[in-house]
Amino acid sequence: MNEERKENTLLQVSSAPHIRSHDSTQTVMLDVIIALLPLLLWGCYIFGMRALTVTLITVFSSVIFELLFNLITKKTITVLDLSAVVTGLLLSYNLPHTIPFWMPVLGAFFAIVPVKMLLGGLGKNLVNPALAGRACLLLSFSSAMTVPPVLTRLDLFESYLPGDALSGSTPLYTVLSPAEDGSSISTELLFDMFIGNESGTIGEVSALLILLGFLYLLLRKVVSWHIPLSYLGTVAFITLLFPAEGVERFDVVYMLAHLFSGGLLLAAVFMATDYVTSPITPKGRIIFGIGCGLLTVIVRYCAGNEGASYAVLTMNLLVYFIDKITVPRPFGAALPKLKIKKESKPQ
Amino acid sequence: MAFTFKGGIHPDEQKNTRRTPIVPITPPGSVCIPMSQHIGICCEPCVKIGDLVDKGQIIGKVTEGLGCPVHASISGKVTKIEDMIWSKEHSVTAVTIENDFECRVSPSVKPYCGDIRTLGTEEIIDRVRNAGIAGLGGATFPTYAKIANAVGRIKGLIINCAECEPYITANHRLLLEHPEKVVGGIKILLKAFSLRTAVMAIENNKKDAVKAVAALPFDPEMIRICVLKTKYPQGDERQLIYALTGKEIPTGKLPVDVGYVVFNAETCAAIYTAFATGMPLTERIVTVDGDCVGSPGSVLVPLGTPISELLEYCQTDSSKIAKIIVGGPMMGKAVWSKDTPITKGSSAVLAFSEKALKSQMKKQTACIRCGKCLAACPMHLMPKEIYRAYIKGDLSKCKTLLAQSCVECGSCTYVCPAGLDLSQAIVSAKTKLRPKRVVSEAKPLAVDENSEKPLCDHTSKTQQEEK
Repeated sequence: MNEERKENTLLQVSSAPHIRSHDSTQTVMLDVIIALLPLLLWGCYIFGMRALTVTLITVFSSVIFELLFNLITKKTITVLDLSAVVTGLLLSYNLPHTIPFWMPVLGAFFAIVPVKMLLGGLGKNLVNPALAGRACLLLSFSSAMTVPPVLTRLDLFESYLPGDALSGSTPLYTVLSPAEDGSSISTELLFDMFIGNESGTIGEVSALLILLGFLYLLLRKVVSWHIPLSYLGTVAFITLLFPAEGVERFDVVYMLAHLFSGGLLLAAVFMATDYVTSPITPKGRIIFGIGCGLLTVIVRYCAGNEGASYAVLTMNLLVYFIDKITVPRPFGAALPKLKIKKESKPQ
Repeated sequence: MAFTFKGGIHPDEQKNTRRTPIVPITPPGSVCIPMSQHIGICCEPCVKIGDLVDKGQIIGKVTEGLGCPVHASISGKVTKIEDMIWSKEHSVTAVTIENDFECRVSPSVKPYCGDIRTLGTEEIIDRVRNAGIAGLGGATFPTYAKIANAVGRIKGLIINCAECEPYITANHRLLLEHPEKVVGGIKILLKAFSLRTAVMAIENNKKDAVKAVAALPFDPEMIRICVLKTKYPQGDERQLIYALTGKEIPTGKLPVDVGYVVFNAETCAAIYTAFATGMPLTERIVTVDGDCVGSPGSVLVPLGTPISELLEYCQTDSSKIAKIIVGGPMMGKAVWSKDTPITKGSSAVLAFSEKALKSQMKKQTACIRCGKCLAACPMHLMPKEIYRAYIKGDLSKCKTLLAQSCVECGSCTYVCPAGLDLSQAIVSAKTKLRPKRVVSEAKPLAVDENSEKPLCDHTSKTQQEEK
């Protein structure tokens, strides 16, 4: 028998399972890119072709910085997982189209090198690279990061001089500082916000397209509903029940204006759901979403400023602890609380 | 709404052989029958080289403890009794019988002649034990022991026809072609447990099987058919009981402890055969599929038939074969030799070419914390965390994360976009965490199909002897 076996060629062996799904990091990132692209098209339509130039700059510089880092540190080339492209896209979506061209390069450098690659690359970063890049630019160059109050369409390479841009006219500011005559937000303005016919950063303006992207990601099972819904739900709940001074309770238009304005939707759907920097447990994801919602509203009410990105960045830092306290109960395992009760009874 | 459980995956079903009728294989020239095809103690061969044996004749006796006798699956002459390599560390005695093509049936094979209505529990257990029946779903736990253990302790009998693994259609074809055998077996089991109703669990990709069973003339009170949502690993006892009753089996406990017992459909048919014709378990239905197989289908195979003969029968291009899996692609075992015999636990033989294997290859990248493994785990564990702890060598953390309750279904590895070998690491952690002194009888019931545990447990024996 043994002799016979020697004659036969030995077959391959491996432990089960022998089949695998076709998902990979690359396909997941590709799905996110597909969900993000309509926003870029809309950005180009509403702000002019300069939006495209800014986006291309951030995407290319993100990829090149990651590639350079891989080459210099002599590590495996990781740019093909497309995560740098997603970071580049998200970073540019958070920038005004009027930004000087060299700034996005700096933002991409900060996002990719110190925030992501120095900590060990994709999967190891603590905070969302794109948001960190944006925060870096916002703190360093606040005037250049200011969104022009009126819609300005610009050519591919047209430079823009901020001049004496008045803040307080983008829809978010209208929402956050109600008119002195007490008139509430008009439904026309709300509709414009929903469609995206307003001023803002490149990718944040169209609520409709962001929600469509969310739907696509849900259908492709790339993201779960937990974070976006708990995040938006918390913001909706607070703005409905505890609106800012001068606004009546249960003002649905006010609540919707909060949801559709600023970078909230973009942050809730694409930033807060970033796998690496969000909890992995379903319960943890809900806690994370609620935390993001709370912080966003607090910043909006108290500072009169968009708080979504800082809210997400803050919650990013708490992910480790949220994961620790929300370990799911294994199937068939006793509830830890019940155990304590049972133990305490005999005493 | 269909019954289901939380977690799990839905791989490509690949039930290519669902419409191919079961055909008996042309009798093989020789069979090589291992003395241990079940969980428990190895049998002792009770024939000598040169003996003439009949089909159904006992050739391996249970000497002590838990075990199933082994029978000759063809008539012929015993030519060899020797050890064969069975797994990485273990060998098992195997009896080779050369076929004389006379199809003599042993005189010990007699149908049950008493009245089936007055059958006693002891009588049923006795006949099932003598027929050498083990769980045919793949776990191969001795059926008599399962019955004996559950008598008087259960309130529900569940018949598992989920067949959630891709490719396998053995149970499906059995239900379509011989539903009366399965129902007959269920009647006997109901008698053994003095129960009135059994629940038959069938996944909703086998609606025709539901119809075939429902068309039989039996009391609808006796068998309730439950249609389950098609999902893997629905056929796992824990998930099946949860899907049907909403009850969770506590960690480390058996289905019996929550009042249920689960039998595979083919096992029921084998019990029926043991009573109707008296023929012990000498053959089983094997699904043969994979991209190398020319005419895939379900084949009725005598136990001990070498896989090579089975593949040849199904017109397989053997030069292309790179990997043979015995069992389903999710939990099946890859074998290194085409001479490996079909045993009681082999529900399928899948032959894949190099090309097909390459399409399943995935490059390993870093974990991106997507949480898909958590969502897929039917036991609600944290595969990613256990994997990390195991790679670091932190076994105590694996233990606190309950790595031992892993059912080895492989769902986490299947979904992982980073291509990490999650379940492989968890299974290794589980093996290392297993108490050193394993007494075969204490082994959990058919929880993990095709578990890595070798069929013949020599380690436990030697360790006991040492003590």
